[in-house]
Amino acid sequence: MAMRAAVRCLSAANFSSRLPQLSSAAQLSATRLLWRSGSPRTLSSTSALSTALKFTDKHEWVQVEGGIGTVGISSYAQEALGDVVYCGLPEVGQRLEQMEEFGALESVKAASELYSPLTGEVTEINTELAENPGLVNKDCYAQGWLIKMTIEKPEELESLMDQAGYDKFIKSLEE
Amino acid sequence: MMCRVRGMFPLLRGRTGNQRSWSWSWSSRFFTDSGSSSAGLVLQSRSTDVHQNLALEDWIDANVDLQRRSVLLLWRNRPAVVIGRHQNPWAECDLKAMRRAGIALARRRSGGGTVFHDLGNLNLTFFASKKAYDRQRNLKVVTEALRRLRPELDVRATDRLDIILNGHYKISGTASRLSRQSSYHHCTLLHSADRSALSAVLRPSCPGIHSNATPSVPSPVANLIDHAPSLQWEELVEGVAEQYNKEFCFSSGTVLVDPSDETLFPDVGRLEAELRGWNWTFGKTPKFSVETQLQLPEARRSGRLQVDVKNGRIDGCSIDAPADWICERLSGELSAVLVGERFCPNAAAAAVAALLRCENRRMRELCAAVLQVMG
Repeated sequence: MAMRAAVRCLSAANFSSRLPQLSSAAQLSATRLLWRSGSPRTLSSTSALSTALKFTDKHEWVQVEGGIGTVGISSYAQEALGDVVYCGLPEVGQRLEQMEEFGALESVKAASELYSPLTGEVTEINTELAENPGLVNKDCYAQGWLIKMTIEKPEELESLMDQAGYDKFIKSLEE
Repeated sequence: MMCRVRGMFPLLRGRTGNQRSWSWSWSSRFFTDSGSSSAGLVLQSRSTDVHQNLALEDWIDANVDLQRRSVLLLWRNRPAVVIGRHQNPWAECDLKAMRRAGIALARRRSGGGTVFHDLGNLNLTFFASKKAYDRQRNLKVVTEALRRLRPELDVRATDRLDIILNGHYKISGTASRLSRQSSYHHCTLLHSADRSALSAVLRPSCPGIHSNATPSVPSPVANLIDHAPSLQWEELVEGVAEQYNKEFCFSSGTVLVDPSDETLFPDVGRLEAELRGWNWTFGKTPKFSVETQLQLPEARRSGRLQVDVKNGRIDGCSIDAPADWICERLSGELSAVLVGERFCPNAAAAAVAALLRCENRRMRELCAAVLQVMG
């Protein structure tokens, strides 16, 4: 999605000297946030119902728990976007195809389209973001989640990257 | 300097034959044939209709292979207010004053704040792949063009991506949209816009709006001709196009296009209808509420109105009118009728018409006061 562009725009804009610094910071905070958000869930749900994060090449993540996917954007993406000032999210009940546009995040006068990582129906949106869109920056893997959705085609998860694959992907963007 | 001048598009230069066949071959050649010779294209819209021009932006974003080609679109509109994607039109502009003055309202797909457009305002849209998205570089095209045209102008782009004149006055504002593969960045450039109209319409339609929608940041503005009186419109347009070619090492002539031409832009009419529709312009407004006084001259007291609006429609409504002036049952009936209706004086008037037929003068006054709030 948009994030990739924003990320790339940084390198295109001759910020390449800043880029290693940016990305290592992004990865660091990703690790930190993952740990923070992941641990309570692991404690509460003992098992196979909960899966690790999966990523799209548009920098959304999805985590499946009890047949419901929680969707957000990666730390790398939120850093590239800058301060999010508004989250345009869909209605509960809206049906989404994989990679369909489902809303937009607004930052620094730019609207960046969001794309659904999976096919399914929106079951919940993060209403906290209406008052506090900055949660997407502050805590993108936990409090800054965007939507929850049903998973109609579990096989689509296979097409997404796991953490290691995504880390590699981010690295490849910097090269 | 290092610009390699590429071969010009033969079809653009030699505009022989009738317009239609030229358009068609040009369209197929330059928008879909990726093997064409130049990577940059400068288009100038013949239309001054804001919805047509915004639809053309959407069309280019969706249909041109921006991985291989960049486009600069130059356009201007008859008087219009253009709000950002996540803004509230009732909070940003005086809808009643706009209707009276015949000023159009449009919601664009990009972020950012509200702007007033008229024929004295030049709009520039820079289309590129996401990879090449670089707003400061685009703004450099504008500032360098202005410096070249009038070296005495002190212009610079800010961190907020505005262009300011003499360190203070805003002459250009920016907004952009990033999609899957493509991006566009558009900016305004005030040449000779009507600033009095701007201040007359850029104020809320009603008081007491509570919303999380993106607010605009008002800035002191100036027109270029206030500081460079000899700067002609055509000179400005040509200067910007020339600088675009120079900055990106392109060699495109400026091509005039009609954004309603479906032979050139297939299906663009559908995009225009969507942008023009109520569901996009008003229905996309982030959820908000209005809490305000109702002016009831006959009651010699004011009432209170509390409305929740979701997707542009009234989701909840509570009307508090003096109980010794109109009975609670009637104001309750009015609230009930309004729920589910568009937050729009015409739609609401149609909804309450049945109530008005059988009810008294006080009910009429109460209805009028409520409708007044909707702009």
